[in-house]
Order: sequence, then C-alpha cells, then structure tokens
Amino acid sequence: MSFPLQQIRNFCIIAHIDHGKSTLADRILEVTGALAAREMQDQVLDKMDIERERGITIKAQTVRLKYVASDGLEYRIHLIDTPGHVDFNYEVSRSLSACEGAVLVVDSTQGVEAQTLANVYLAIEQNLEVLPALNKVDLPSSDVDRTREEIEQVVGLDCAEAVPCSGKTGIGVRDILEQVIKKVPAPRERAPGGPLRALIFDSWYDSYRGAVVMVRVMDGVLRKGDKVRFLATKRDYEVVEMGVFTPHPVHIDELGPGEVGFFAANVKSVHDTKIGDTVTTAKAANTGVVEPLPGFKDVKPMVFAGVFPTDSAAYPDLRDALEKLHMNDSAFSFEPDTSEALGFGFRCGFLGLLHMEIIQERLEREFNLDLITTAPSVVYRVLKNNGEMIRVENPAKLPSPGEYQHIEEPICKVTIHVPSEYIGPVLSLCQDKRGTQLGLQHASKDRVIISYELPFAEVLFDFHDKLKSCTRGYASMDYEFTGYRRDTLVKVDIMVNGDPLDALSIIVHKERAYHRGRALCEKLKEFIPQQQFEVPVQAAIGGKIIARETIRALRKDVTAKCYGGDISRKRKLLEKQKEGKRRMKSVGSVDVPQEAFLAILKVEG
Amino acid sequence: MQVYVHFPWCLEKCPYCDFVSYRTTREAIDQVGYTDAVLRELDLRLADFRIEHASFTLESIFFGGGTPSLWEPSQLARVIAALRAAFPPSREPEITAECNPSSLDQARAEGLLAAGVNRLSIGVQSLHDERLRFLGRLHDAQGALRSVRGALASGMPRVSADLIYAVADQRPDEAVDEASRLLDEGLTHLSAYSLTIEAGTRFGELARRGRLPLADDGAMVASFHALHDALGARGLAHYEISNYAVPGQEARHNLGYWKGRAYLGLGCAAVGMIPGPQGALRYRNQPLPERYLQATQGGVANDPGGIAESVEPLDASTLLRERIMLGLRLAEGFDLEAAAAELGVEPWPAERRRAAERMIQRGRLVREGGRLRVPLSAWALADGTAAELF
Repeated sequence: MSFPLQQIRNFCIIAHIDHGKSTLADRILEVTGALAAREMQDQVLDKMDIERERGITIKAQTVRLKYVASDGLEYRIHLIDTPGHVDFNYEVSRSLSACEGAVLVVDSTQGVEAQTLANVYLAIEQNLEVLPALNKVDLPSSDVDRTREEIEQVVGLDCAEAVPCSGKTGIGVRDILEQVIKKVPAPRERAPGGPLRALIFDSWYDSYRGAVVMVRVMDGVLRKGDKVRFLATKRDYEVVEMGVFTPHPVHIDELGPGEVGFFAANVKSVHDTKIGDTVTTAKAANTGVVEPLPGFKDVKPMVFAGVFPTDSAAYPDLRDALEKLHMNDSAFSFEPDTSEALGFGFRCGFLGLLHMEIIQERLEREFNLDLITTAPSVVYRVLKNNGEMIRVENPAKLPSPGEYQHIEEPICKVTIHVPSEYIGPVLSLCQDKRGTQLGLQHASKDRVIISYELPFAEVLFDFHDKLKSCTRGYASMDYEFTGYRRDTLVKVDIMVNGDPLDALSIIVHKERAYHRGRALCEKLKEFIPQQQFEVPVQAAIGGKIIARETIRALRKDVTAKCYGGDISRKRKLLEKQKEGKRRMKSVGSVDVPQEAFLAILKVEG
Repeated sequence: MQVYVHFPWCLEKCPYCDFVSYRTTREAIDQVGYTDAVLRELDLRLADFRIEHASFTLESIFFGGGTPSLWEPSQLARVIAALRAAFPPSREPEITAECNPSSLDQARAEGLLAAGVNRLSIGVQSLHDERLRFLGRLHDAQGALRSVRGALASGMPRVSADLIYAVADQRPDEAVDEASRLLDEGLTHLSAYSLTIEAGTRFGELARRGRLPLADDGAMVASFHALHDALGARGLAHYEISNYAVPGQEARHNLGYWKGRAYLGLGCAAVGMIPGPQGALRYRNQPLPERYLQATQGGVANDPGGIAESVEPLDASTLLRERIMLGLRLAEGFDLEAAAAELGVEPWPAERRRAAERMIQRGRLVREGGRLRVPLSAWALADGTAAELF
C-alpha cells in the first residue's frame, strides 16, 4: 500500500552561494529528528571535501524525512538538494522538476544577489511553489524588511509570509516546514493508472552496485525486482536494490507515485544513467507507447582541455584516476592525447570551467597526481578542402591554413539580468566580446534583461568575472548553446626558446590575433621563471612572428650566509620553491610552470 | 659537541644585518648577569639532555652575535671553562669569537687569548671608506687594518676576516683588491659574502621602496668568480660558497653546520639542534634579553614557557633535505647515500633521481658514486639545484 499522496511533499532549497543553503538543510535534518545533534557535522549534505571547502554542492544529495505537522498528521518529506553552479544548470533543472516546491533562501544581511535570480527563474519555469525564507536573522546586520522588499521588487514574489530564519540557531526552521506542508502542493499522478514513469535526476557510481540512480516516481509504482527500461538509452535492467536516504541509507521494496528514492540495477556505468531520462517497466515499454517525461537533454561536454602528468611516468596513474572519475561523472569525457611539448596525456571534456577545476582538483587531491592542465578550448568545426567537416577540440590540432576552407565557432545566447544602472557597462562588455545584441527588456521598474549572441569562446574565459566586476556582482547570467557560426579565425602559435609549444596554441579572431599574441607573450614572460640561459618567447601566425619577449638568464640563486640559525628558514624557502617546481613541466630544456599554460585566461581584452 | 653562544648586543645596528642584536653602550651591558644566565641555561640543558652527554666531547665553541668582542674576556672565560667541564675535549677545541674592529685592539685580543679563545673572526666588511659608511659601520679602512694587525700581533693562533662584496657599484677588481690587501696582512681565512638584502632590516625597507642602490646579479656573479680566481692563486681554497682558507685553516665549527652535525645553542636568541625523539630538535631561544634572563631563572629549557621560544622537530627526511641544502654549499659536496643510510631514509626516490639526472645534464650537478657536488660554474645557482633535489 503506497503512502497517501496527500501526505507527501517534495521540495528543494535554492539560494545564492554562501546564503546558507546547506546549513539550513542540516538544521531541517535535525528538527525532523533525522539526525541527532551529536551526529551533525557541519553541512552534512555536502559530502565531498571540495564541496565543503568551496561551499558549493556538486552532486545533489536527497533525503527522506518524517515530519509530524501541526495538523497532527505525519508527512513524508523529500528534501532534494541541488547543485549550485551554472555549469550544472541542467542537473539543477532536472532536480527541480522532481519537486513541487522550493524554499528560496536569501541572506537577510546581503539581500538578493545575482545567482538567486537564475535559480528562481528555473524554479518558476518548472511551476514550483516558491517559499521565500530570510536567513541569518541572528546576525546584527540582518535587515529583514529591506530583504523582503527586495525580493518582492526584484523577484516579484509575495513576501508577506516569508519566514525569518537562521540555519545557525534554528529559528524559523519549523515555520518553514509548516509552510512546506501548507503551501507546497502534494504530488499528483500525471497519468493515473498509467504505466510507471520515473525521472532520473541524479546518479553515482558505487563500486559494489555499479551505477545507482536517484528517481522521482511520477506515475505508477516502482518495485524491487521490476524489469525496467531507460527510455533514452533503450536499455533494460532488473531493479535489485531500492532505498532512500534518511540520511542513512534504508532499504525499501517499492516507491509509489510522488516518492523519491534510489535503486541499483547492475547498470555498469553512470554514462548509461542519463540525467532527465525516464524509467518505465520493460513490459509497458514493449506493449504500448510510454511518453517520456519532458525536458530530457543529452548533455555533452562544451569545454575541452589537455591534462598531462608533470612526470611522464605517472601516465598510467592518471589514466586510472580519469577512469575512476569518469565512472561517476556522466558529463565528463576523456581520450588519449599527445602533445609534442607535453608528451602523453589526455584530452578531457567538461561542462564548463568550474567543472574543469573541480575535476583537476580531485585528480590532484584524491589521486595525488601532479598535473599540467592546458587552457580550455571550445569545440570548433572546420570545413576541410575535401568537403569534410571535422570537429577540432584542440587548437593545436587545427589543420594547416592551406588544408581547410573555413572555421566555425560555437555561438551561445547569453541572458543577463541586471539592475538598469549597469546597462552601460554590460553592453560595452558584450560588444567588446564580439557580441550581437538580441534584445533588451525591462523586467521591472529598475531591472533589465539583456540578451546577446556571443561566441562561446569569449564567454568561457573571463566573461563571468568581468560581468560580475562591472556590475558589482548584481548581474546574473545564463547561457545556452545555439549553434555554429563561421568567422575569420586564425591560430596563434607560441614558441618558447625557438620550439613550438603546441599546448599554448590558441584560435582567435583575426582582428584580435596580434593583440592577443603580444599580451600572451608578456604574460608568459611573467610566468616562466628565469632559466640558466636567455629564453625568447614568440607568438606566430602561420610561421610569421608577430610578437617577442625575452626572459633574461638566471645568474644567481644562492644564499650568501647559511649557519645554525638560518637553516630552518632557508630549508623552508627551498621546500616552497620545490613545491612550485612540482607543477612544472620540462619542455625541451625550459621548465614551464602550470600557470603559463593557463596564461591566456589572464590576458586582457 | 659544538656549541654556539650568542651575545645579543652591538654598539650600532648595521643596516644589512638580520641577526638578533640590540644597540647599546658598553656600560649598559650587564656582563656578569648575562654570563650567569648563559651558565644557568647550560646547566638546565645538560639536565634536560636525556642522552648521556658524558659521551660528547667539546669540538668547538663559536661566540657570535651581536658583537662578542664587547663581552668581557673574564666572563667569556667562565663560559669556556664550564663547557670544557661539561664536555671534556679529546683534542684542543676550536674556540672562535666574532669581533668588530671598533671593539677589538691588541689588548682585547690578548685578553681573549688569555680567556681561552684561539680564533678570531673580524667583521672588516670592506677596506673602502665610502662603502664602509654605506654599510653603516663604525670603523674606517685604517681602523679595520689596525684591528687586524692587533689581532695578529696578540699571538692569536688563527685570525679570519669577513668581507661584503657586490656593494652598489663595486667592480669585481675592487672586491679582489680588498681581499688581497687583507691577505697581505697575513690572514689564513677569509669569508666573502655578497651583500644580501634581508626583509626586516633598514636595507630591506629601503630596497622595498626602491631607494637602495644595488649591484645586479651579473655583477655579483662576476665578483664571485673574480674572488675565486684571485684567492685561489694565493693558495686559498674556496671550500664553501662564501669561505676561503689556507688548507687546514677551515672553520671547523662552521663545517659542522654544513655537514649536518648537532650543535648546542646557548644565550639569548641562540639556535641549537640536538638529537630528538624522531630525528632532531631545532630550538630557538627567547630573542628578548629580559625574557631570556627571566627564562633562565625557571627550570624549563625547551617546553612552553621555557628558554626556547620555539622548538621544531626534524624528522629523518627533513634532516636529509638539510644535508642536501648544506652539503651542496661545500666545494667537496657531500655523500648523499651515506647521509641517507645514517638517517635511515631512501637516498634516491624516483623524483630525486630524475631531478639529479636533469641537473647533471644541465651542468649544475656532478655525481661521483654516492657523492654530489655543484661545479664552480653553477655554484651561484646552488639553492635552486638543492630545491630540485628536495
């Protein structure tokens, strides 16, 4: 017998980074008795170290809670945690579609901030009931009235019943839960009596169980032992294990409509468990047409970068580590790559820059590898003379100028929400990034929505940082890939000490090539340490040198005095120097540090 | 056992110096009080030594500072006597006192000799009046020579001098000239340091603001090689990056540091390295004289609230890194494999082996069996080479 639908609530918490989402989630676990206070470790739901350190959630973690409301009834609440970064936008949207409501947490000491908006709009798009909560009211700088006003004005939500709360002290947490019970609609079956349909909104790899999926049942009942089919991948599996997190894992035998839980079905890899896919029974899939749940997209990596071990002997270790990460991250791809300068490594695909940084950090931290990561690149399309259109994920691999007819670059539509006082700087930033304005509309009296078409390569680099700084953090942006466009693009090559350093090649717009080449040489001069001999750094287009800088030879690197009292201090300095050298790659006879490979990201303009 | 004793006072604070020293007048120094404190510290450390110190013999004492030539020879003699009693020597120990020309004449040298000192190291720094003023020294070239002559005339068995080169626009031949004139006086040991700008000194502050004329690295290296050639021609071996000696006249005490030997440190701001539970301990004594004097009244050496302000445990691999850093300062280099075996660690982890190969290939390192050394041509890059091998 399924749990009564009327007593189920599914909700998530959305917030700007640092507005206290995870702390509030922890407090909810405590209030509902899911965890005793002594079990609480700060931010229980952010599992990985990196998440805890960066204060963002990378993998969603979902829990089932028991809550006896003031009406005396026992409710089953699923709290669905969502990732919090634009790179994981698709994951967020799928998590949201597993809910009927969202608690919007706004830091009452800060007010509404950029990212709040992107997430609220996603929630509104999914028709979720959004309940504002004003967090951190325990702090002296909290201003509840102003925050309330701001939410009403900027987001357009009625804040008459917005709950003042504090994840830290627990004030207001019960009130939030009461509102969830009262205002968030109970789930309802979309097609009552129809076949099973469950939405996959998260998956992870478990070394004993294979890929485990987290689902929200929309229609029908999912039972242990069921033979199921994943509609997008068209594969059949048998459900061998089911459960929910409370947050401790608890085994169950079935999930009824509206319920959320996980199952394992001997799925080999997370790449077979696509986020947004629909699970139904094999029988239903075979007998009739089961309508897939809306919104599924096959997410593909948008950004590629080379990852090389600083020490080539570590290549097999790097491969093993990439395989392990790949098993647990369906958005991440990798394949072997060789660079003349860097030797054997891998070309890896990521959703965006943050995703890339996270993977790199995990490789180094969890697998203890010293790596060189090259600057990220978008995927270009190149029409060769023989009429063949090829994908170029690595600028170094661009055919020589005589071998192709043209290059196309990925274009995206960028939507920016910003207070109207910042229109000027935002427009000039977009123009500067080779953008074409698509529209400008007023969202409210003093807020505008600006939309632009921009080359994705320009968005990738420092667009987000620049946007934030020219709007004091008040802009929020979102982008979607719209297609490819042909442009006059050229490859700029970099030579260090006369040898081409293929990993530093970039593809840029012809008009900017000279400027970028020069700026890149200047940056490289800054990043590459002095060597025993003079090192020229040159930029070239098709063999023609367009810029040159010279790194002077290192003449002296020795301490004059080193006696008893100096030894520790001196040793620590050298230890630090050594630590820096770990992130260097010997290219020919020149030691090139990691920063040099990312120098293009630091180039202005 | 080798012992370092610090004397933390000077008549003037030199703008380049980052050793712990306080400006004072001769009269203001509590000679007996400080000596008593040092002797109390010695007693405490002997008691604290959980190792049979009876097995140690006194190898050397180095009175450094500060300006130990301001310390009354009679008080210095008390310290020497106590150390001889604590660690009975098996051969005549080397006992050095650092001196400044402004507080060293023949009479003071005779006094130090009588107190048991057998080696003087005189802070001449330059024989060029303008450079001496730039360096903030209280003496001029004549004063420096007078002091050196007085020391030699006193019958002191060994006399060394310190020089600073690569000062502002000094040319390599000028550096050589100053060194040669000192050797003409009959010195058998010379320390020649390139001017180093340390943070937290007056020069450091001026340099940070771009207000200090400095020699460039090329000029420094040119002087380094010019000195090597000229002093070599006069029979002095360049045995450490900044040190030259007639063979047999090397500073035994300092060689001990570069060979990674233990050393007892006594006195305000002194640093010592003694055997510890997991390798060794390096302690640093209270750097304020009042604090130090007070701490010697308590019964605690290295524990919190004691004489030592900080204690750093050094494990075997850290000690090996220090051996590398210090060993490459010596012309003869050092035996990495022997040092590693003695410390019980792996001499050649893969990363170090590859770094050594790279350094050898680049002409920055020479390997002979287990021994490593830096060739003269790459000696001025020795720190970077050591870091590669860490």
